[in-house]
Amino acid sequence: MAPEKIPNVAPAEDLACESPAQAASADPSGPDMTTSRRDFMKAGGMLSVSSLLGVGSLITMSEDANAAVEWAEHFQGNYRLMTQQEKAEARARLERRYSAEYGKRVVVDGTEAQEGVLMGYALNIRKCIGCRRCVKACVAENNQSRGPRPGESIEWIQVLRMERGGFAEEKMNHGYPEGLGIQVGGNAYTPAGQVLEGQYYYEPELVPEKDATYMPIACMQCEKPPCVKVCPVRTTYREPDGVVVIDYNWCIGCRMCMGACPYWARRLNVANPVLPKEEMNPVTHYLGNRPRMRGVVEKCHWCMQRSRQGRYPACVEVCPVGARKFGNLLDPESEVSLILARKNVFRLKAEMNTFPKFFYFYD
Amino acid sequence: MKRLVSKLLLLTVSCAGMINPGFAQDQAPATAPALEEVICFESRKGASEVTKIDLQPGWPNVKCSTKTGAVLWWGDPFDGTVPMGDMPLLPNVPGKVVVKPRSAKMNLLPMCGTACHNGVGPQFNPPTLPKDKKPKPIPTMEAMFPDAKNFQHGRGRIWCLDCHHTTQRSKFVDNFGDPISFDQPQLLCGKCHGDKLRDWRDGIHGKRIGEWASTGKKRWFVCTECHNPHNVQDGVRNKGFIQLEPETPPQLPRGMKDAKHELLHGVAH
Repeated sequence: MAPEKIPNVAPAEDLACESPAQAASADPSGPDMTTSRRDFMKAGGMLSVSSLLGVGSLITMSEDANAAVEWAEHFQGNYRLMTQQEKAEARARLERRYSAEYGKRVVVDGTEAQEGVLMGYALNIRKCIGCRRCVKACVAENNQSRGPRPGESIEWIQVLRMERGGFAEEKMNHGYPEGLGIQVGGNAYTPAGQVLEGQYYYEPELVPEKDATYMPIACMQCEKPPCVKVCPVRTTYREPDGVVVIDYNWCIGCRMCMGACPYWARRLNVANPVLPKEEMNPVTHYLGNRPRMRGVVEKCHWCMQRSRQGRYPACVEVCPVGARKFGNLLDPESEVSLILARKNVFRLKAEMNTFPKFFYFYD
Repeated sequence: MKRLVSKLLLLTVSCAGMINPGFAQDQAPATAPALEEVICFESRKGASEVTKIDLQPGWPNVKCSTKTGAVLWWGDPFDGTVPMGDMPLLPNVPGKVVVKPRSAKMNLLPMCGTACHNGVGPQFNPPTLPKDKKPKPIPTMEAMFPDAKNFQHGRGRIWCLDCHHTTQRSKFVDNFGDPISFDQPQLLCGKCHGDKLRDWRDGIHGKRIGEWASTGKKRWFVCTECHNPHNVQDGVRNKGFIQLEPETPPQLPRGMKDAKHELLHGVAH
């Protein structure tokens, strides 16, 4: 998004959205209460007591605007089922909370899918050099947690390093198993050509390495997403332009989607997310890169806050070798459509019938 | 003959060949602590450097990797760009195709841009233009570009003035001897690499930033912003794109000491 677009969003204060119940900062667990629904449910007993005391008395106790925002947030519905008015209110609430929390003007966008657009992605697997710039650009753009302790560091893109194997003369006589049993060739269990198992923790001085190829993997934005099928609260769903999104506020953190995804694309905020104020990206989308809370699942959404405004996703722009391509699959002139028409293309795990809109190609 | 050509080749490589990475890398430290100025590189080191500034308060023009000094994020993809100019077979879309001008790179030293690479030609009297296609060493250039001695492009079948214009040293040359701007190296490279040119024109090869719509405004990265034409046959990996330092690996799962566990402890078959 171009920077001049930031001031266009109406100031959060303009949207008078608090109903009396929402304005009440009747948060019995104090201002430290986190934003997660799970915590809310834990505190449910105390809350129900306080609600019995009567909303009116609670209004007078309201001293913390931040807590009031959270109170209202807990009672908002599933984003997909909200009216336009409710959606705008929800975003305004978040803008207020984030702006206070991060000490700058945070915009929570709600731009809907554009007509006639089906987003698609293509990645040239021959070009990728495994430099991981896409991974880091994604983190810089999408407000992932980046703490040092276990579970505090979240990256949506994995880059797998695939070794190039081969046949070796010294293995010729290594039958398996020894003695009795079915004899197999000595090279049976050595990888040949490009192996399909990769490892992601490579750390050479320079990339690309001589005997390796690299395969970045992130959310494939399936046309038949298994994660959407299994979500018990239907908080993850496919948008009309093809992107699979999550309403973080409605997520219960059950991790069913993580188990269902064949591409290891989803991440759970196990710990409280660590997001330094100065590194926080203030241009966000409700279904995209707005800061998440502990106990919710997140994943790649093709930089919704950028792509809905017409801009390339961050990983596409950063790729130094230009291996990443993004565009409208319904537009025959777009980069991805031309790639599908001309190049050799495959989908990862096509046999799963998930129909990804993320294509690998080579030339 | 071939050997002779490649030996002598180097020396005529001009200041214009500023794309030479060895030299430019020294010029571009990732950070200059004295000025607290952050200079990052875009696609490859030596091609285009950016100084980090704030376009608006809290909105930087670039975000850079602290480890490698690479640009990770552009606040404004069209910052400092100019229209690319006409290109054959490209539908004329004024203002939609922009590039970052590379002419500033010509002034590596003040005298480069005035003495020889001034767009006109050497002003020595008489001008020492090559009489034939046999490269002759120029000590100045040899000293400035030691990497030029290791010229790796065309496997000894091309020499300097196949790409650089004879008299206009700040220009490339096309098949008819006419000059080509440094901002449009694709017109030069496409003379041989036509398939790549076609893919690049359609957005399949190479890098673009900006708007994703096929009719949107984009900044195109030109050939020399990613490839160093003097060193495309990189010895280690020989893929056209020079090796670079990777970013840090991801965090290991809790309890895992290193990533080699599965390699060391084989899985039962």
